[in-house]
Order: sequence, then C-alpha cells, then structure tokens
Amino acid sequence: MPRYELALILKQMQRPETAAVLRRTVETLMERGALVRDLENLGERQLPYRMTKHNQRHSRGTYFLVDFYAAPSMLAGLLDHLHRDVDVVRPTVLKKDAQSSIWTSLSFLEDVSPLI
Amino acid sequence: KTDNIPLLGLYFKFSDIVQLQFIAKSQTASAEVLVNMENPYREPQKGCVLCDVTVDFKNIQLLSQFISPHTGRIYGRHITGLCGRKQKEVSKAIKKAQSMGFMSVTHKNPQFMKDPNVCGIKHLD
Repeated sequence: MPRYELALILKQMQRPETAAVLRRTVETLMERGALVRDLENLGERQLPYRMTKHNQRHSRGTYFLVDFYAAPSMLAGLLDHLHRDVDVVRPTVLKKDAQSSIWTSLSFLEDVSPLI
Repeated sequence: KTDNIPLLGLYFKFSDIVQLQFIAKSQTASAEVLVNMENPYREPQKGCVLCDVTVDFKNIQLLSQFISPHTGRIYGRHITGLCGRKQKEVSKAIKKAQSMGFMSVTHKNPQFMKDPNVCGIKHLD
C-alpha cells in the first residue's frame, strides 16, 4: 500500500482538547482502513499567514505530521471529513517519497497488509 | 605563405614538420614513456551546495535561505548557484510549504534573517 503523510494544522487549543482532536483523527484513519505508522508533533507556533477557516481567523496553530499507509480510494473521503472538522485549520495529504524517508531500515513494512 | 617550407619539392606547413619529428621520436623511444593513466591533475568534481542534502518542505530554515528577505521571492539559478535538479527540488519544496501553511509567501521568517548567506547576492542593507 502506498505511504501518505498528513500535515495537520490544528487550532490553538488547550492540551486535552488537542489530544481529543488527534484521537478522533487517528480513529477516523483507522476506521477507513489505514495503518497509522507515526505521529509527530512539530510544535505550536505562529502561522506564516493568517488563515480563515470555519468563520474564524487563526494566527497561531499546532502542527502535526501523521504517517500512514492507506488505499488511494479512501483519500478523497478522508480529506472531506477533515475539512469539515471545526478544530482543523488546514489538512494536507501528501504522498511520501522513498528517498526522503528517514526510516529506510523499516522499508520491509511496504508489503505488509493492514491489520483489520 | 611564409609558413610553407619547401621540402622535396612539396610544400609542408611548419606545424606538420614538428609533428612528423615528434612521431618519429616516440616510435623509437621505449614503451615505458607512454603510459595510459587518468589525468593526475584532475580535480574532484565540485557539486552545488545541496549536493548531499535532502530537501524537505518541513525544513523551512533551509528553504528560507533561497528566498529574498524583503519580498519572499525565490531566487533564480544564477543567484543560488544550485545545479538543475536541486534548484527544481528547492523551488517545488518552497511552493509546497507555502501552500500547506508552513512558510510565508510575502516575507522571510524574522527568526531566519541572521542565517549565513548561501546565495551570491549582496543586499544594500
């Protein structure tokens, strides 16, 4: 299955609320048959420009990076779901390149099917 | 016309005669003199600044070194000095980071203003 990367920018919230948003995002991913591999926190910082989403103007946000394996057919539905989430400012899904991967030793996972 | 030297009724150029003499000498010399080897004075190929560096959209500090601090415009190849492949990678990564909300479009992040100047450009600051 191809590898994808979800760059998630969340609204500036308290820690338990951020945890709740992350939890439901990962649960959504798993419900749609994705295998979540890695979740990185890039920190809370000032956004490079003010973003408007769900009738709110955001100037600060928390950046997260979710690595996952998924079928290409579920990406459209996933992005639609993320855009509708009120706490998410900007979701972006990218394909992960093999060259830029840090975990080159774990490439044997490429041909592992997800656990249902 | 002054170059032509009459010899045996034929006109040769001076350079031809020098070459004929050289060929005659080398054939008589031993085989040790002429050795097939690669150029000993050859210098290692110089790569561009990012030859061994992976370019990522997350690494905005690296990408910010290739944009203007005043306008945020991406510098061209004649300024950055990067090879074709790396220039394209940097350009694509900057556009990706800008659209994903990682990097600003109109200016350079003030935190990165003090970074060393990689591009060959001098600002009149």
